[in-house]
Amino acid sequence: MSPYILFVMLSSLGLGTTLTFTSSHWLLAWMGLEINTLAIIPLMTNKHHPRAVEAATKYFLTQAAAAAILLFASIYNAWYSGQWFIQDMSSPVSTLMTLAIAIKLGIAPMHFWLPEVMQGISISTGLILVTWQKLAPLALLMQISHNIKPELLIILGLMSTIIGGWGGLNQTQIRKIMAYSSIAHLGWIISILHFMPALAMINLFIYLIMTITMFMTFNLLNSPTINTLAMNWSKSPILAATSALALLSLGGLPPLTGFMPKWLIIQELTNQELAPTATLLALSALLSLFFYLRLSYSLSLTIMPNTHPQTLNWNMKTTTPLPLSLMMMMTLTMLPITPTIISLF
Amino acid sequence: MTHILFTISTAFMLGLTGLTFHRTHLLSALLCLEGMMLSLFIALAMWSTQNDMMIFSSSPLLLLALSACEAGLGLSLLVATSRTHGSDHLQNLNLLQC
Repeated sequence: MSPYILFVMLSSLGLGTTLTFTSSHWLLAWMGLEINTLAIIPLMTNKHHPRAVEAATKYFLTQAAAAAILLFASIYNAWYSGQWFIQDMSSPVSTLMTLAIAIKLGIAPMHFWLPEVMQGISISTGLILVTWQKLAPLALLMQISHNIKPELLIILGLMSTIIGGWGGLNQTQIRKIMAYSSIAHLGWIISILHFMPALAMINLFIYLIMTITMFMTFNLLNSPTINTLAMNWSKSPILAATSALALLSLGGLPPLTGFMPKWLIIQELTNQELAPTATLLALSALLSLFFYLRLSYSLSLTIMPNTHPQTLNWNMKTTTPLPLSLMMMMTLTMLPITPTIISLF
Repeated sequence: MTHILFTISTAFMLGLTGLTFHRTHLLSALLCLEGMMLSLFIALAMWSTQNDMMIFSSSPLLLLALSACEAGLGLSLLVATSRTHGSDHLQNLNLLQC
């Protein structure tokens, strides 16, 4: 792709999300979402390949249908209440709106497009898909979150965490596993959304950091399946060790960063007298933890069955890029500064 | 519910049902999407005339512009899939399943 075209596409990707962030009018928010969808399709089909075209087609159909339902719900709201402000949404329409945004985000009963689209595109485009493309719909969902029924959000969140954990168990492709991990994390985000939007923001922030770290690692190690992960300790031993820890942080084990949002969410749900929901969320995190553990096992604890045992590729020089090491440190060691992060949001 | 809103909602829901259940050709899915967008166009235009809000009278055109872009993108994807997969049957889009 020519750099000029790439620049136009990336800047309109950024501007579409910014348009949705700054708008208080539903039509403008819808336009931002549409510009986002239109801008990422050429990035997906950058390499003209049957799988990329198929992924782009599936992404386009779901996103266009979801955007149409979103605009239909807002016109319906305008027809009844006579205004277009995002923050004042009447309750029955906001259910339809939540379902439309859930299709856009890939939350559990509407999640089937996400693993297939992720499998068809490259890892760097997949990084855009699971981080930047989630921000605009989540901003809309946070603005209407006080009008949504909490039961709906809790049911969607529980289904997401359980299906996200369950679906990833059967996968061997890294991109599909990361897609299911994204579904599970979004379930955590939206199950707390009605009670404490600031906590959902913290969870989103931590999720972005951990996901960017993992995608940059997989991009650097150039490994599409679990099997190829076993070679990586000879390419870059330090990266193999730390990315195994980063996977455990994604699963939410205590001394690492990923434990913080899960801890706070379970505490807040218990304070809201929703202890059974919190228990189910914590149990479904075990399902996710199983496949993260499988990834980190083959990343750091297995040796490829080669004919002659060699430890390091002496002639291959791998340099870890600076952003990756920065993100990796944030992924691993941010738990002690939890009070600072809470005071930021 | 007024008659206009009922008619427009029925048109939109018919389009959505067609998109959801009639999954043979990609072209028919795109036509259903376009029908949904056109019903939304009529809804916006009728809303601004019924409520006498002339400041909103340009918003149907903005919607139409973006939905035309979307239709163009859909048609280009139709060309791309028929070049890579041989036909526009949605059954053929099964490379990424597992």
